[in-house]
Amino acid sequence: MNSSRSVVGKNLHKVDGYKLVTGRPAFTDDIHIPGMLYGKILPSPHAHARIKHIDTSRAKNLPGVRAVLTYKDVPRVPHTTAGQSWPEPSPYDTYLLDSKMRLVGDRVAAVAAESRAIADEALRLIEVEYEILPSILEIEVAMLEGAPVIHDEPDSTGIHDARHNVAGHILKEIGNVEEGFRESDLVIEHEYRTQRQQHCAIEPHVTISWLDSDDRLVIRTSTQVPYHTRRQVAMILQLPVGRVHVIKPRIGGGFGGKQEMVLEDICGALALATRRPVKIEYTREEEFYMARSRHPQILTIKMGFKRDGTLVANKMSVLATTGAYGSHANTVQGNTGSKVLPIYRTPNMRFECNVVYTNTPVAGAFRGYGCPQGYFAQESVMDEAAHKLGIDPVELRKKNMIRLGDIDALSAELGEGKKGLPRHIRSCGLPECLDRGAAAIDWVRKRKEYSEAALSSRRHDSHLRRGVGVACSMQGSGIAGVDWAAASLKLNEDGSFNLQVGAADLGTGADTVLAQIGAETLGVTLDKMIVYSGDTDFTPFDVGAYASSTTIISGGAVKKAAEKVRAEILRIASKMLETPADNLTCRDNMVVTKCECKKSVSMTDLAYYAMYKEKVQVMENASHWNTDSPPPFCAQFAEVEVDRETGLIRVLHLVTAVDLGVAINPMQAEGQSEGAVAQSLGYGLTEEMVLDEFGRVINPSFLDYKMLGPKDMPKLTTILVETEEPLGPYGAKSISEIPINAPAPAVANAVFHAIGVRFHRLPIRPEDVLLGLREKRAC
Amino acid sequence: MVDMLIMVTINGEAKRFSIAPGDLLLDVLRREAYFGVKRGCETGECGACTVLVNGKPINSCLMFGAQAEGTEILTIEGVAPDGKLDPIQTAFLDHGAVQCGFCTPGMILSARALLAGRPDPTEAEVREALAGNFCRCTGYLKPVEAVLAAAQANREAGLSGARTKSGRSRGQARKRQ
Amino acid sequence: MFDHIECFYRPGTLREALLLLRKLGKRGAIVAGATDIVTRADRSPRFFIDVTHLGLDFVRKNRRGCAIGAATTMMALEKSPITCRLAGGILAKAAATCGSIQNRNMATLGGNLANASPAADTAAVLLALDAQLVVDGSRRKRKIPLAEFYIGPHQTVLNGELIKEIVIPALPGGGRWGWSFQKLGRTETDIALVNAAAGLQADSRGRIKWARIALGAVGPMPLRARAAEKLLIGNALSEELLARAGEVAMGEVSPINDGRASANYRREMSAVLVRRALRECACHAGIPILD
Repeated sequence: MNSSRSVVGKNLHKVDGYKLVTGRPAFTDDIHIPGMLYGKILPSPHAHARIKHIDTSRAKNLPGVRAVLTYKDVPRVPHTTAGQSWPEPSPYDTYLLDSKMRLVGDRVAAVAAESRAIADEALRLIEVEYEILPSILEIEVAMLEGAPVIHDEPDSTGIHDARHNVAGHILKEIGNVEEGFRESDLVIEHEYRTQRQQHCAIEPHVTISWLDSDDRLVIRTSTQVPYHTRRQVAMILQLPVGRVHVIKPRIGGGFGGKQEMVLEDICGALALATRRPVKIEYTREEEFYMARSRHPQILTIKMGFKRDGTLVANKMSVLATTGAYGSHANTVQGNTGSKVLPIYRTPNMRFECNVVYTNTPVAGAFRGYGCPQGYFAQESVMDEAAHKLGIDPVELRKKNMIRLGDIDALSAELGEGKKGLPRHIRSCGLPECLDRGAAAIDWVRKRKEYSEAALSSRRHDSHLRRGVGVACSMQGSGIAGVDWAAASLKLNEDGSFNLQVGAADLGTGADTVLAQIGAETLGVTLDKMIVYSGDTDFTPFDVGAYASSTTIISGGAVKKAAEKVRAEILRIASKMLETPADNLTCRDNMVVTKCECKKSVSMTDLAYYAMYKEKVQVMENASHWNTDSPPPFCAQFAEVEVDRETGLIRVLHLVTAVDLGVAINPMQAEGQSEGAVAQSLGYGLTEEMVLDEFGRVINPSFLDYKMLGPKDMPKLTTILVETEEPLGPYGAKSISEIPINAPAPAVANAVFHAIGVRFHRLPIRPEDVLLGLREKRAC
Repeated sequence: MVDMLIMVTINGEAKRFSIAPGDLLLDVLRREAYFGVKRGCETGECGACTVLVNGKPINSCLMFGAQAEGTEILTIEGVAPDGKLDPIQTAFLDHGAVQCGFCTPGMILSARALLAGRPDPTEAEVREALAGNFCRCTGYLKPVEAVLAAAQANREAGLSGARTKSGRSRGQARKRQ
Repeated sequence: MFDHIECFYRPGTLREALLLLRKLGKRGAIVAGATDIVTRADRSPRFFIDVTHLGLDFVRKNRRGCAIGAATTMMALEKSPITCRLAGGILAKAAATCGSIQNRNMATLGGNLANASPAADTAAVLLALDAQLVVDGSRRKRKIPLAEFYIGPHQTVLNGELIKEIVIPALPGGGRWGWSFQKLGRTETDIALVNAAAGLQADSRGRIKWARIALGAVGPMPLRARAAEKLLIGNALSEELLARAGEVAMGEVSPINDGRASANYRREMSAVLVRRALRECACHAGIPILD
């Protein structure tokens, strides 16, 4: 936006790009520690059972086995695995190891052995006798009177109603929706169902843990939340926080799946038990059973409109399952309300949800964090309303959308597990997103042309129909009043800076973006920034990478720290150049005078002067948080072709127009968007973890859990609609999550345009399309 | 079990490895510190463990170490000897085709095998070449663009001096920086 | 995963391979491209016998037809000028859909057939081409029509034997020929939910003289839709006949419900793919389809 900037807004290479394209050993598992043991977890074969008897003696006696742990061997500390700020708004309902199994894949025991093969063999030698309990696999039956109680242990806390398997409950109303519906000319109400989606980071969860020479527990792990993990592991293993050192190397993708302590506690326990380095790495199959997934929801949504399209009332009720443990249960579902409903103005809004336990894989944080479910429902109804009211879907959205200067009251009611802060809209590019997106997909012409084609087509290939659809969304940028970050900057002799951040780049480009913010502020080139991130011993605190917070919150901390360093640099330069500091500025790796006299000192000379003449380390740190969470906005358009004989939906073009504030690195921002779109198209069409009647995942592999590949992806157009956000560093908001919200409903709406069938369940499988067409013909 | 010796050439260097008869090539390579060969699924779906065996991309998680006897293997560590990047690697950086970087070595090797046989591939051919490399971060657009740009850069380098319809992709690459 | 394997044999001649096979019996497993054997992770074999150094990677053509070595990779089949021309290239086309390039560089035709997946793409094509397998045991050598090779999912008639080559007989001469391979998956690189291969020969007046329709993933093993074939013989093609052939084929399949698709969907898609395959055959052969 601002052409005077030299680093921010530029498409610079990732600061870690070179090592990644050359395959340098940069990830958790890319080290080999002499004497390292292999850890393995024995998964429960039953969805709900109690261990009556467990005998590990044969496993322990197997040569090469160094430790076998069961619930009898470890402290029993209730906790949550959700990587959230203390005190976590998720129930403390999880134990390092327990005598009760609550899902297929729950931890029965853990072993550490000299090789992977011996560890596998040891698992086979553990003898377990189970008392099999009746289980709950369906969301709808969890709350019924008389249903088995999944969390009947007395020591768990923070569960809303354990006796009825309700992990969390939310009810908020603004205005009066029932009155609103009475005033409405058109009321639409439907139930929508969304599935269990998996993150499928290509790098599985992996942790290596050892005791250092001071007997401190070191945990090198693939995590998005190093600091939360340190705190949680210390609590669970009953160590002082200072005795734990968490290191986050390069991460092979997370998407929320690593905003969670999945392996660190048990790996640390094995390292303590054996006093040897221990590695645990999930297999792909274990990822599906034992990692996390997106919360499946049943959403009932009711929206009332005036004849002119004005939204009068919006009511959403959600029944979701968190699986066997309540990780992120309240907050994900809270988001389904707080980040979805307010995108359309109405005085009457009501959001209610129950999050229930079932004996199914544990749900958790996943990019979008409750929004993809909510937007599928809401954007489907918006499309239906437009159709019924005879209003163009783009126009109906424009008529009702939130605007600059608005205050979103619902988000104040629905904070992070408690009352939050009201959200002020200080920047909003949504109208431009709709306009530019519509132009990019040729909206007006294609809406008309495909509608007409559907009526007239009699050709040989008449089994093919095309359509275009739209959906909108908003997200947040950090959690208002909760997320905070710190950054530290230090000047070296050669004019380079060590930038130390607790922020956790998980492949998103956070290190690069933070370095760009630092370099811009200090007037140096990007190569002068040496970034080190996500290490609890060597970088300051950061909540971690989640809630679209890193650019705005960690970036805010970097900017503040850089401004402090800059002031110190100018103070020193002022001495060296004998001119007042306010006559100086940093530019091109130098400090230069603003006046005509054109004096300058290079950052290198300045550093030598500071270090060896003044004997001062130029070094500052800063902390940052926001009282608000500025939403990015997005409009997404899909063009599809539906084969009416096979039911296959082919997406031809997907346009994303996104208001992300100022793009710190536009190329990386586009990449974030394109990746999110790919995940959402999979969510819409092919991705689903399917369970059998015993609670086992029937498709725990990439062969049968279908992600879209390079040949499946449509043409992608990404339009960055830049606005200037006052609360963001250099005007930035966020980009990482928002584009995942609306592609699936945009596709569903495009499919309706093509074949006139609405879908209320994701993914939309070919069989569903055929069934829908058959029902339509029968009508 | 009898350990066996295999002789392979890895990244141009003759190597002798003592392996177990059931060892998978992926495990052999990582044990020998070729950490650029990634473990993603171990069922031959994700392609993170791709290496070139006699110039052809294969999933090293689906090949036994014993099958590699006498072959020439290229891993990502051998793609930029002496630190000089292959045009594909440069294009991946220029085009923002790297996010987490975990699938990147496999993608680069698949692309390299493609360009060795098809210096002027179509977009569809690039997508086919990358179809065995899952990437959960990028949505594939930028990797595909990068491979096409690398092909053009290769052609221009090969035709230095000759007149080509060049310019476009170069200009784009510059613009991106 | 294969830490229990005691020895990995790499015989250099067929004779050695057969000797090993006899000596090791059920404890020995044949490894060709290894792509199936690794993923199936069957822990029973103690020995592996690599059959990729027996000179069985070839594609040859003679007057009697075409012979393909069992160790020929999918990639070689896809690229071979002989398979690319044979029967409209449908075998090459099917080979090109067998997973990613990485897997096609390893997976072999013999392995694909011996693995006996009901969804094997090459099997449907080879059924339509009346292929026979030349198998060798240490005591006897025999020729097995592919149609008699399978006895169930992942089960074949092989008994301590090894597939040497796949023979595709030359087709009856004259007339107009058309071929098609159709595959339906959840994504572009998916295993088949249903696949279909078809071939048609018509006389100069457009009447069908010879027809083959084979389907995969719709029964315990790849199958021929013989009733649908019969329906076509002696008739000129019409939209109605294509539709009827699809319906008849639908009655010949016995698919299962699994996580990939329901039995009903597979049954219905059998008809769709048969219709599309026949239409493509007609188009290639220049056989008119009456409205």
